[in-house]
Amino acid sequence: MTRILDPTLRSPVEAATVARASRKRSLDGATIGLLANSKSNGMALLDRIVERLRERHQIGEVVRVAKTNASAPVTEGDAQMLAGRCAVVITAIGD
Amino acid sequence: MPTAQPSNQRDGVDVADPWAAIEACYAKGWTDGLPVVPPTELLVDAMLAAGSWLPDDVLLHEPVRDRAVTAGKAAINAVMAGCLPEYFPVVGAALLAIGDASFMLHGPATSTGGAALMIVVNGPIRARLGLNAKTNLFGPGYRANATIGRSLRLILLNCLDCRPGVLDKSTQGWAGKYSLCFAEDEASSPWEPLHVSRGFTPEQSTVTVYAAESGHNVLSHGTADPEQVLTCFADAMAGLGSLSPGRTVIVFAPEHAGHLRRAGWTRPQTQQWLYDHAWRSLADLKRGGKVEPAFFASPALVDWLYTDAPGGRPAVLPGPDDAGRVLAGDETVHVHRGLGPDDILLTVGGGDAGGHSAFFPSWSRGRSVPFVTKEIFA
Repeated sequence: MTRILDPTLRSPVEAATVARASRKRSLDGATIGLLANSKSNGMALLDRIVERLRERHQIGEVVRVAKTNASAPVTEGDAQMLAGRCAVVITAIGD
Repeated sequence: MPTAQPSNQRDGVDVADPWAAIEACYAKGWTDGLPVVPPTELLVDAMLAAGSWLPDDVLLHEPVRDRAVTAGKAAINAVMAGCLPEYFPVVGAALLAIGDASFMLHGPATSTGGAALMIVVNGPIRARLGLNAKTNLFGPGYRANATIGRSLRLILLNCLDCRPGVLDKSTQGWAGKYSLCFAEDEASSPWEPLHVSRGFTPEQSTVTVYAAESGHNVLSHGTADPEQVLTCFADAMAGLGSLSPGRTVIVFAPEHAGHLRRAGWTRPQTQQWLYDHAWRSLADLKRGGKVEPAFFASPALVDWLYTDAPGGRPAVLPGPDDAGRVLAGDETVHVHRGLGPDDILLTVGGGDAGGHSAFFPSWSRGRSVPFVTKEIFA
């Protein structure tokens, strides 16, 4: 037998280091963060999602952030702000 | 240089024979659709030994998804692509180039635009590796060209999950996404080699990377007059389908390069002429639906639209509802490809026969990403 090596990055180490945030049981009163990718319709899509959420839940404040460039990661400052202020953050692309 | 997590460099699959190995790579989803060379430990070790990196050295960190591609993983993919070990320093340099923060790889790697990762090689290493700069340089026939470019694509597929429909959302993509690597024909260039124009010495070897849409053949056979020849290039660059504030790569065929050489045109002069003449009127852009309402919310895009407007930009910009309406004066506003002459990268390559050059528009309808040049240490 000959071993051929795995060219991918999938590994148990990587899987173990990514933990999911806890799920919210209710959105009532929750501050909702919106993170758009900065393309033409990203925030339009997110605003429509907020409209739909308002029809079903008594959501609280909405915080809107658009990345400066769709190809770049969200800035550390924006990520910290969203994490600090929001119960839930929704991100979307829209073009 | 950072190192990755404790490595899984020796994880793999045990196979009975080479044919089973090739099929195992297909079954695992590790290929670009073409067969790969099975990456045995022996081959991978030889690949790694030809570079100057340790297996866990990170050659590419993609920040949006926080993925670190090590030299070890790069070597596995380079073997699979068909590289000889002596190609590995070029693959590594290309990874360092596309991993440069300014290149913002996540965009060209995933966008609907469907960019290929163009690699232009300069310097003495071209001859040592047998990289083709001449006849059919974008096409098949040369191992170094075919496999160095393919290595990058396999790394995007296997390490960054840029699989079609998963993270790679290219609407159409194009054949250059399999591989797009060529050498500059420095001997046929009217100018200093590309990498010298970018701050390196002739004795250094480099890669210059670019996120490229599919190339357009620019034909001109009937004239040696530089302005007539360049008129064909400027016209291609100003096509509404690809007009943007982004970058341009022109690969002059030796015949066209010779016309510029004999007429004494410099590189900056040629870049300036092309920038000046590659434009469409704002009215044309609007008639083609190329001016989106969101443009007027972007100061950078407004600057681009009105850079060459008699009287400057209007005091009152159009609102979202009339962004596309042709206004009095729009016929005299010239909207250029790119933001200036430096957005046009000029290089030379191709067979000695034929007036066939190429224009490669940048990926994206926006600003795209810059050219990045890195030295090859071999």
